[in-house]
Amino acid sequence: MSKQLKQIAIYGKGGIGKSTTTSNISAALAESGLKVMQFGCDPKADSTNTLRGGEYIPSVLELLAERRRVDAYEAIFQGFGGIYCVEAGGPQPGVGCAGRGIITAVELLKQQRVFEELDLDVVIYDVLGDVVCGGFAVPVREGIAEHVFTVSSSDFMAIYAANNLFRGIERFSSAGGALLGGIIANSINTDFQREIIDDFAARTATPIVQYVPRSLTVTQAELSGRTTIEAAPNSAQAEVYRELARRIADHTESKVPTPLNQQELREWSARWADHLVAAERAESERQREVA
Amino acid sequence: MAINLKTSSVETREQRLGTIIGWDGAASSLAEESAFSRGDCASCGSSRGAKARRVCELQGPFTQGSVCSEQMVECQAGNVRDAVLVQHSPIGCGAGQVIYNSIYRNGLAMRGLPVQNIRFVSTNLRERDMVYGGAEKLDRAIRAAFDRHRPNAIFIATSCASGIIGDDVESVARACEADLGVPVIPLHCEGFKSKHWSTGFDATQHGILRQIVRRNPTRKQDDLINVINLWGTDVFTPMLKELGLRVNYVVDMATVEELAQMSEAAATVSFCYTLGTYLAAALEQDYGVPQVKAPQPYGFAGTDAWLRELARVTGREALAEDYIAREHARVKPLLAALRPKLKGLKGYVATGSAYAHGMVGVLRELDVEVDGSLVFHHDPVYDSEDPRQDSLGHLVETYGDVKHFTVGNRQQYQFYNLLQRVKPDFIIIRHNGLAPLAARLGIPAIPLGDEHHALGYQGMVNLGESILAVLQHRKFHQDIAGRVRLPYKASWLAEPDPFALARLATV
Repeated sequence: MSKQLKQIAIYGKGGIGKSTTTSNISAALAESGLKVMQFGCDPKADSTNTLRGGEYIPSVLELLAERRRVDAYEAIFQGFGGIYCVEAGGPQPGVGCAGRGIITAVELLKQQRVFEELDLDVVIYDVLGDVVCGGFAVPVREGIAEHVFTVSSSDFMAIYAANNLFRGIERFSSAGGALLGGIIANSINTDFQREIIDDFAARTATPIVQYVPRSLTVTQAELSGRTTIEAAPNSAQAEVYRELARRIADHTESKVPTPLNQQELREWSARWADHLVAAERAESERQREVA
Repeated sequence: MAINLKTSSVETREQRLGTIIGWDGAASSLAEESAFSRGDCASCGSSRGAKARRVCELQGPFTQGSVCSEQMVECQAGNVRDAVLVQHSPIGCGAGQVIYNSIYRNGLAMRGLPVQNIRFVSTNLRERDMVYGGAEKLDRAIRAAFDRHRPNAIFIATSCASGIIGDDVESVARACEADLGVPVIPLHCEGFKSKHWSTGFDATQHGILRQIVRRNPTRKQDDLINVINLWGTDVFTPMLKELGLRVNYVVDMATVEELAQMSEAAATVSFCYTLGTYLAAALEQDYGVPQVKAPQPYGFAGTDAWLRELARVTGREALAEDYIAREHARVKPLLAALRPKLKGLKGYVATGSAYAHGMVGVLRELDVEVDGSLVFHHDPVYDSEDPRQDSLGHLVETYGDVKHFTVGNRQQYQFYNLLQRVKPDFIIIRHNGLAPLAARLGIPAIPLGDEHHALGYQGMVNLGESILAVLQHRKFHQDIAGRVRLPYKASWLAEPDPFALARLATV
């Protein structure tokens, strides 16, 4: 390998916008001249859609289901900016073991030395939802990725999933697993959303890498089967993703997080709930007074 | 195709070599389809670059019974004398150790080594562990194994169960290794990973290469030869002594130190390329120990070529020529006496792949007719990719074609049709499960438990005598055949094509 390969993994609650964020990071990195691979680790195999004009690609597991011998290159497709797109794939909902699918797919590419042969600068693993079993922990625990980032909004369930991820990282940190790079705060449009995520970050000693506002530009781009970087390169949102990508590319030092335990997390969320109710009440009283 | 020792788990034979488990036709056709000869089979699509080779494969609708990769780890890593094998599996996966223990004890006795029992510990994974993960149990088992046996290395066999739940065997092993101060070596041999159990050999050897073999050795033992073998009689020591060489038997019944010193040896050989292809190629690639690239040491042609290549690699040509001449002179009269007694007989070989190629050659040397053979899998190429190791090609070129050459995964129901097709006088096997069915057809079996029995010049004599011995039982087997019924439907018993079901499934 002629250069240092940077491997990162992006986790977060299902539906939080991981694939959107990851694809835009990949697109921005490719735009800056880096050789990038995006490795989707979701059984839905839709991580790389917006890099391929909305098109699905055959997953590693689909190919392995068809035949026993698979050349890893058969599962690698190029997308926007020359990005190498791979989907691990997995079983149908309610069937089989999705975690095993990730293990198998990652193993295939590692054994066939694909990362070295393609001379990549960055590999980004876009991992399904939460760390629910051994399979989903693979990119973290085996140090396949060196840095983990989590996408989280200020919603409690997103934070809950992020905290679970921190627990996983903490668990594997002593055995050479990946460490935490930080939180990508997604859909942050109001002050109180920012306060909540900032507070969680502070309590878990985790940096916020970037605040990403919710934007119609992203929705429009996705509906056209593209990333924001491709569809609206001059938009403010594209600039947000570029800055995020720059920070991730420059990121060198990740740390062991300090997750909250179950009780602490409950108490923390209850305090925020009280705080928000009080704030809402104060606001409605203020409006009544004005009226 | 370079061997990749950087990853913790071995690449399966299907992926690495294009191994198949279903094929039927003439040996010459299979040799021609295999990569040594011309690379990809056009009708099955091409493979890219240096990856797996493709040979057309017959895929049956079901697999009746065979063994798995984990069992090959049991019988290799489990037989390292001063190590312990921890099986991270349900207890049932360790059932095979009962038979392996008897083989191990016999092997030790035959080699004049202290007889001992196999030392293995099962983590006994249960339903609860499948849900909550078995890592803590594995940690406890490794430490218990160390306390009980004080081994010089601990191997961990994974299993389907631990693989499905994705247990983090690697980090448990790393932590234990740091605490215990001996190599703790995960061997990734989940049974579902490969359709062929020989991947289990590779998994064991992969772990040994990564964690036991001495890197950058300070000394070189110019007269030491790594001999990759199983439990057979010590035929290599006297043979190699003629060339002024010493034997380092690996993997079975070796000590951890004997495994470690493999990187110091002058060369690596094996009795069978199915077993030895991975370890020998990796020793050459990563440690600079040359592997002998020649036909296997069976029959005159194979043994001559094998000895000459070993002599060339180690610079002992004159000694080898002298030895070859003496052995030819000694053995030829013995064979001349055997051949008239064996002429007109028909033999059938049903063993592992490369070993069968050698056995057919020996039978032909004895004037025994062979028009059928079953091998349990076929590697279209070995890891060296060197045509000098093309054992099937060597067989066809030296001894002529085998009309009914079958690749099949030890399927009893097919074995019936295979034997009916050629109606042999006896069969040669290494896996005893095949003998009962043959016996029911009135055919006696020669079980080559000692895999070195037919090796080299003396091996031809040995096998000839074994054939004569087993034919003494012919009447007994014919009596059995006259009194038993097979459990198959009349339609199947009348089926001339052993792969009829596979062809039906393909349509």
